[in-house]
Amino acid sequence: MTLQFGPILEQWPYLLGGAALSLWIAVLAFACAMPIGLLCAALLHYGPPAMRRLVAAYVIFATNTPQLVQIFFLFFGLPEVGITLSPFTAVLIGATFNAGAYLCEIQRAGFASVRRTEIEAAEVLGFSRLQIIRHVTLPHVMKAMFPPLSNQFIVVTLGTSMASIFGVEELTGRSDNLGAETYLSVEAYGVAAVIYVAMTLIATCVLALSGRLVCRAKMNIV
Amino acid sequence: MIRAAALFSYYDLTLLLEGFLTTFALSLIGCLGGFVLGFAAAILRTTRSRVMAPVRAALFVYAMFLRRVPFLVTLMLVFYATQSLHANLPTFAVASISICLIAAAYLGEITRGGLESVHANQWQGARALNFSHWQTLRYVIVPQAWRVILPPTFGFLVMIIKDTALASQIGVMELTAAGKVLGNKGVPAVLVYGAILMLYFSMSYPLARLGKHVERRLAAARNH
Repeated sequence: MTLQFGPILEQWPYLLGGAALSLWIAVLAFACAMPIGLLCAALLHYGPPAMRRLVAAYVIFATNTPQLVQIFFLFFGLPEVGITLSPFTAVLIGATFNAGAYLCEIQRAGFASVRRTEIEAAEVLGFSRLQIIRHVTLPHVMKAMFPPLSNQFIVVTLGTSMASIFGVEELTGRSDNLGAETYLSVEAYGVAAVIYVAMTLIATCVLALSGRLVCRAKMNIV
Repeated sequence: MIRAAALFSYYDLTLLLEGFLTTFALSLIGCLGGFVLGFAAAILRTTRSRVMAPVRAALFVYAMFLRRVPFLVTLMLVFYATQSLHANLPTFAVASISICLIAAAYLGEITRGGLESVHANQWQGARALNFSHWQTLRYVIVPQAWRVILPPTFGFLVMIIKDTALASQIGVMELTAAGKVLGNKGVPAVLVYGAILMLYFSMSYPLARLGKHVERRLAAARNH
């Protein structure tokens, strides 16, 4: 077997366009999942018992079933009740649904990591409620939450490769196309793999740097 | 409901059961293979000799790459690579190999983190007592690292069960593929995929619960 990367590498703008779409889906899903996660974490903490149980059930269900089957359910199941989703929307909703549950867990743990004594100490020092949130709770929570959040962003980015199964032409879909056109599937997927590694490494570096600057979170890049 | 019962005929149910068992087998192979390979990789990375430096570097690159490539891409890469090498492997074997490869990378990283969480004093103390490298690992480091290694390992094993769903893409007749067959036969998709989701849930939820239980017990032991 001889590998010929030439014909695949010639198509680099096509593949990088796919990578951009992958990243775009990940950013959209993550941005939608963040408020969902925050809301769920708040409900788990302060909501009425029935609401708490509902949110807990959502988190347990979403984290214990495959994202692929969840998207299958949305994509093929919902048309039966009259809601037809485009592949892109189905994948986006599926990724958001899944990420929302994980982000809820992360944010819940982040808020739980603030010690009661820290807040009491701030109260003793005469901090107002807002000042406590601004100077004690928030910095602590951000610092604790940032590393797992950026980790989860990488997980979401890798998860977007499932979109190719539904015909969305992101990085995996495009390398699949190239493989089918040129009969060089190994090379096409190999190049896609390298692009994924590069893409997520850059994302990790950017996140680690901003985490260090904004939240003073210590993060390892590799 | 009667319609639903009629649609799930004897044939359909055996198909689902076979899919369930295939998914279970794939997950089990992935968990065991990945755990053994990952543990071996983590142990090799604790070595300090210069001769082993290339091995350590290779393992480092391996762990970094495999954890940054989507499972679907790894699966396709292994699938097409074995095909172009004319190794006529059954798709089940291809899926097993891919899952073991990726599980080794993740579990290796988890194990390495656990081993590194043991304080350097422990290495020095064992050395002062004239323990060899392997004796130190066997009697000092690994017993203490377990409690750090186990909780995230359970989380990842649940991940493996969910990742096996992608094996349907290369034609392994596991649970998701069985669902697709039933869907094409005309069984309502809500019903089929609802059942499939529940079957996956019945597999991964007990494992997740066990992981939580182990985590709580280990945390309690640590606080003494």
